[in-house]
Amino acid sequence: MSTLANQLIIDYSKCTGCRLCELACSAKHEGKFQPSLARLKIVKYDSLGLDIPNVCPPCEEAPCIEVCPVYAMRRDPVSNMVYVVHDKCILCKSCVGACVNGVIRLDTYAMKIIKCNHCDGDPECAKICPTGAITYGPVSSISTVDRHGKVDRYLREVKRVASVEEAGGDV
Amino acid sequence: MSSKGYMGRILRVNLSDGTFHIDPLPSEWIKEYIGGDGFAAHVLYTEVKAGTDPLSENNKLMVSTGPITGTLWPMSGRTVFVSKAPLTGIWGESHVGGFLGPELKYAGYDMLVVEGKSEEPVYILIQDSDLQIISADDLWGSTTDHTTVSIQKKHHDPDIQVAAIGPAGENRVRFASIMINHARAAGRTGMGAVMGSKNLKAIAIRGTGAVEVADHEGFVELAKDAHRRVRENPQAKEMGKWGTWILTAVKQEIGELPTYNHKTGVFSGWEKLSGDFIRPRYTISDRACFGCSLGCKKVNYIPDGPFAGTLEEGPEYEGLMAIGSSLGIADYPTTLKANQICNKFGMDIISAGATIGFAIESFVEGLINENDTSGITLKWDDSKTVIKLLKMIGRREGFGDVLAEGSKRAAEFLGRGTEKFALHVKGMEISGQDGRTHRSIGLGHATGARGADHLRSLVVVDQLGYEEVAAERWGADKLPEIINPYTEKYKATAVFETENAYAIRDTLIVCWYSVSWPPIFWMKDFAEMLPLATGEQYLGKVENLITIAERQITLKRMFNAREGITRADDRLPDRFTKEPMPEGPGKGQVVNLEPMLNDYYRLRGWDLETGLPTKETIKRLSLEWAL
Ligand code: SF4
Ligand code: SF4
Repeated sequence: MSTLANQLIIDYSKCTGCRLCELACSAKHEGKFQPSLARLKIVKYDSLGLDIPNVCPPCEEAPCIEVCPVYAMRRDPVSNMVYVVHDKCILCKSCVGACVNGVIRLDTYAMKIIKCNHCDGDPECAKICPTGAITYGPVSSISTVDRHGKVDRYLREVKRVASVEEAGGDV
Repeated sequence: MSSKGYMGRILRVNLSDGTFHIDPLPSEWIKEYIGGDGFAAHVLYTEVKAGTDPLSENNKLMVSTGPITGTLWPMSGRTVFVSKAPLTGIWGESHVGGFLGPELKYAGYDMLVVEGKSEEPVYILIQDSDLQIISADDLWGSTTDHTTVSIQKKHHDPDIQVAAIGPAGENRVRFASIMINHARAAGRTGMGAVMGSKNLKAIAIRGTGAVEVADHEGFVELAKDAHRRVRENPQAKEMGKWGTWILTAVKQEIGELPTYNHKTGVFSGWEKLSGDFIRPRYTISDRACFGCSLGCKKVNYIPDGPFAGTLEEGPEYEGLMAIGSSLGIADYPTTLKANQICNKFGMDIISAGATIGFAIESFVEGLINENDTSGITLKWDDSKTVIKLLKMIGRREGFGDVLAEGSKRAAEFLGRGTEKFALHVKGMEISGQDGRTHRSIGLGHATGARGADHLRSLVVVDQLGYEEVAAERWGADKLPEIINPYTEKYKATAVFETENAYAIRDTLIVCWYSVSWPPIFWMKDFAEMLPLATGEQYLGKVENLITIAERQITLKRMFNAREGITRADDRLPDRFTKEPMPEGPGKGQVVNLEPMLNDYYRLRGWDLETGLPTKETIKRLSLEWAL
């Protein structure tokens, strides 16, 4: 892929789970505050104290492009970003299911596929994020943060907490 | 319903007959109350009659939000629970962070009113317009976190927001909490016991709709600037790093760290309860509530020692104080474990710690003995016993059953002069401040509508000596006395003005930490923002906001008056008015409450003798309907 293209870069260890990014995204693209239509998603694990932002970076190998039966999902050769051609889209929702980050959605009110477009190169989510968990820029080896870094720190706890949960949540 | 920001609907659920009902939000309420606990106060006053037993089916529980709940405005994800309080028998409210309130609005409702009582354990499930009451038989007895996760799993949606009670709420512990997002507590006044008495295990909400404001672009721009102000505020930055733990050192320095059941304000072991000590050793992640760019929540893990393996958020400063310094325990892991127990059982750590402190002091002073305490020897600095007592309280086992009633009732039950160690106002235990070293909080504790409250009128400007801000808010002529923590003079002015601003905060609803340190938000900021959010120009004037605030505070007072509260109840325990602070910078200080009360009533337009709102005040605030 083009090394000059900008990406949304996530540092999982910094996210506090405030969901300001979801708010800012829906404010920009929907003109209202509606996280259910945000083009990114914070997955929260309250029992573990863990928050994981899911965005369209975009993927290098994009399953949404591959799965689309009518070639409505495409990649811009310059920006490298993946986008929907709404005229072609038949609303089959294949991409919704295929997205590994779970951030392609069907807006059931407007009846259209909604998907991140990096705000045409000026992402709201990166601008509002108070912690630097989401940034936007060219990917370099330094700025690529291991997706599993933060998760690893918790893994030894996950099992224990889960087993306590199964047992009925005793203290 | 033309005002924006609101969803325009109130959802009512009657647990006695299992029905739901949707009322339009009365449009006149917007100018009268704005939202939040204002709306809820109106419902509680009109629908819960004087003398109602808080644990009976005639009590109601409101879950309320404000016009900016669910928007981009900083720290606007808060929710308030309002009910007649099991702990005090008077006005009860408890605000909580987390993510519940926004979800209620996205589902399409400004407020939920829970009425009646279910025969069997149930939970309420609200998924947009899909409303259900579901059996909670299999959840009864389980902890708050287990309940939450079980409901999310059962409905295959981890984004369902859950407000749950644990065993303490089921057992009607008088200070039972309602828990949100695992560790966020609507802690005070016993709202969890109200749910327990209604056989209501949880309220689960999922909403996919939108909150829309009047001037979207103007509002978003102002909100972004507001976030910038939070981020650049030096105190807010520190709070983001250390959370409320930063207060331990501050309190110790000014001699106001409650120690040995508020006997003194100086604790030799304070360092082990300070942010500097805790964060590098135990903290594994920083978290935030909805829409907050400060992020004061800390998740912590204890790697070794007797509480090894404890993974839990918190506790806040109040928990460090209530379980730590106030019980003579200089050990952070104990406070984290205690917080975990309180969260899982669903009970307020402040009242729990204070009630245990009451028992320890009564025991140590020889007023009670092992015959009273299920054979347990009580002493200061005893982690193991404190942890054991917390579980006994949550389960109402043995002596825990006595303590589960809160310090006031426990003292009445035990008698023998133990009353003097029950440090409460109107039945609610004193929080982590001390009027002897901070006169204005003495007045705030005495006059708070829900009892000894640190969140409705705690003045920060006087204690931290913001001279310019004090001059701007209260008049330069009142300096220097008004910022001198050791004098009663002008303190009513500071409390009155601050309480008004906080009342608006509680209608919006925004977090305490978005108003606490200047120069982040105060009345004029809210007046600038509210017309953009709601389209109501009336809310754009500070003087109108002051009237709304006064109305709300006076309405809560009228609710309490109907239950028999008068000036005689606006008192502090003798410890603060008769026992001089024994050491530290405030050595020798006591609170002289009466002159502050006189000043405060004059400012509020309440009768000096009875402490009740005068006819003129009631008329001025358009509250005649409540007579
Ligand atoms: S880049 Fe823009 S469209 Fe994409 S998630 Fe962020 S705010 Fe939404
Ligand atoms: S704005 Fe940043 S810190 Fe907040 S949830 Fe989004 S990614 Fe996480």
